[in-house]
Amino acid sequence: MKRLLFTLTLMCAVLSYPLAGANKEPATMPKVGDLAPDFKLQYLDEHGLKDVSLAQYRGKKQVVLAFYIFAFTGG
Amino acid sequence: MKNFQANLKKLEATDTQVLGVSMDSPFANKAFADSIGVTFPLLSDWGGETTHKYGIYSDKYKAAKRVNFLIGKDGKILEEQVDDAAIDPSKIVDACERPKLKQ
Repeated sequence: MKRLLFTLTLMCAVLSYPLAGANKEPATMPKVGDLAPDFKLQYLDEHGLKDVSLAQYRGKKQVVLAFYIFAFTGG
Repeated sequence: MKNFQANLKKLEATDTQVLGVSMDSPFANKAFADSIGVTFPLLSDWGGETTHKYGIYSDKYKAAKRVNFLIGKDGKILEEQVDDAAIDPSKIVDACERPKLKQ
């Protein structure tokens, strides 16, 4: 009986583990005062694709990061 | 993005780099920038990794929400504007000019 209980408890723990992981997934928006998450993204200019990272401005410039919904929408 | 372009000279005068970000391809963003006369980079977050990292992916749009972040030279967030409040960037522009006034 003890062994059965142990096995059941273990099974529950193993089965619920991926659920706990999934709940943790959605990141929340960083708040004022938080460190902004670094990124490395690309844009296209006349000369081709260019890399831009947040880290490259550290200690040099402030950065305005303006997320917008889609190209060719207002704003 | 037009509103930032209109304020670009002011922002650049305060040592501020403006970067637009969307989940469009770099090619769509280039065409968008050319069509509305935006001269700062419009970055492509193809796949949405950065949008998710900043916690602003919208299930409704299947894209990023409209959010502006002002990030200081130390990498910390100084100001935020979300959704409709993000259309007029004057709060960000004012915040950029504030440290200059102190000098």
